[in-house]
Amino acid sequence: MNYTYDFASIPGLIIKIFQAFPLTMGILLISLVISLAIGALVTVGALSKNHIVQAISKGYISFMRGIPTLVLIFLLYLGLPQVLKDFGIDIGGWNKAIFIIATLSLNTSANMAEMMRASYLAVDKGQREAAYSVGMKPFTAFRRIIFPQAFGIAIPTLGNNIILLFKETSLGFTIGVIDILGKARAISAASFGANKLEVYIASAVIYWIICVVLEQGSKYVEKMYTRGRKKATS
Amino acid sequence: MDFGFILEAFPQILAAIPITLLMVFASAIIGWILGLIIALVRKGKAPVISQILAVFVSFMRSVPSVIVLYIAYYVMPAVIFSYGQNIGWNVDINLIPPVVYAIFALTLGQAAYSSEVFRAAISAVDEGQMEAAYSIGMTKTQALFRIIFPQAFATAMPNLGGLFVGLVKETSLAYYVGVYEITAIANLLSIPKLNFIEAYVMTTIIYEVLSFIFNKIFRAGENRLKRFRANATA
Repeated sequence: MNYTYDFASIPGLIIKIFQAFPLTMGILLISLVISLAIGALVTVGALSKNHIVQAISKGYISFMRGIPTLVLIFLLYLGLPQVLKDFGIDIGGWNKAIFIIATLSLNTSANMAEMMRASYLAVDKGQREAAYSVGMKPFTAFRRIIFPQAFGIAIPTLGNNIILLFKETSLGFTIGVIDILGKARAISAASFGANKLEVYIASAVIYWIICVVLEQGSKYVEKMYTRGRKKATS
Repeated sequence: MDFGFILEAFPQILAAIPITLLMVFASAIIGWILGLIIALVRKGKAPVISQILAVFVSFMRSVPSVIVLYIAYYVMPAVIFSYGQNIGWNVDINLIPPVVYAIFALTLGQAAYSSEVFRAAISAVDEGQMEAAYSIGMTKTQALFRIIFPQAFATAMPNLGGLFVGLVKETSLAYYVGVYEITAIANLLSIPKLNFIEAYVMTTIIYEVLSFIFNKIFRAGENRLKRFRANATA
């Protein structure tokens, strides 16, 4: 048996694979926005005083945290069209990226909801009371007093969640989306699998660089945002 | 819904749980021991090794697990083969089951993730604790094992629980390197008659139950370790 690797080809491969970067970023950003929206909704539910709403929201969070992303992808991409077909709806021809976005939005929304709930509860109660005492309405108090502080608390977790979400976009290849990893596999397939290891190393390097950038960005935003603010955690 | 398929496939999918659990326990046990060692070495600021470990941790945390699995899957056979040749063994690498590569990749991931958890937990123990241990004549090893570790573990427990459940979900990716674990079996069984929805609902239920059980176990562990958390964190 003979193993030959051409590690000098990796920089060239990185540039080629990087062509898939816009699609990956598109998937990331759309999923991020949707997951934040669902997460906010679920947070409202989880903090609600209505026991049924609260139970449903908490059940949703724990369900989404218990299911592997891969299984959720298969469930939505392979299973859902079958169910909908019975009702006469055909979604089989939809763009595959839609299924990945749906999966990642649902999966990440649970993390986002946990993050929002924890940050909201971390703001000292006295802040809200103080806001009321100067005559603010509940929504104004939330918008001007609670939210800015909760956001500062949430930044590190938000950064982490975005990095996790970014890494999960790599699973797009499982249903044939040509994102970074999908592109890498396509390049490898075009050379009949001869440079499998090289393309995986090249895509690993791309993910590594982007993650480090995201991490530093998150730290920078946190520093800028919390500068000059007093910590008001309870 | 094809109930005949469910009755037939469910026992077969259940039979794949042991291999999933094998991957989970093997990678968690070895990975966390490595993680603790990495945390201590980086804490001790040993020159060169600390920096190498920092790069390793950053790489493992940034690259999606599925790429790490692929790289391990393509690199390890070559490494084992040439090492075998060097020491005079003619290892038939085709006899090595893919689960070995999967465990290797997952273990490295756990080592990196858990090292960060342990590092944070050890830093959270008040420095005075170490000094107090020295002052009553304990050696460094004694102080670490009797004073620092119990407190650090109590702090680390919730995060370790999260890592563990994450690991259970990650094992589903081992499907892509040819391990016949839960997701792989479900996928294989569903293909002939396109029973996707049945197969993946069953898979979802199994993962949800596993996550639920492990969450409960770690929650119980957290409560037991609480006695070490006598407000000794800085």
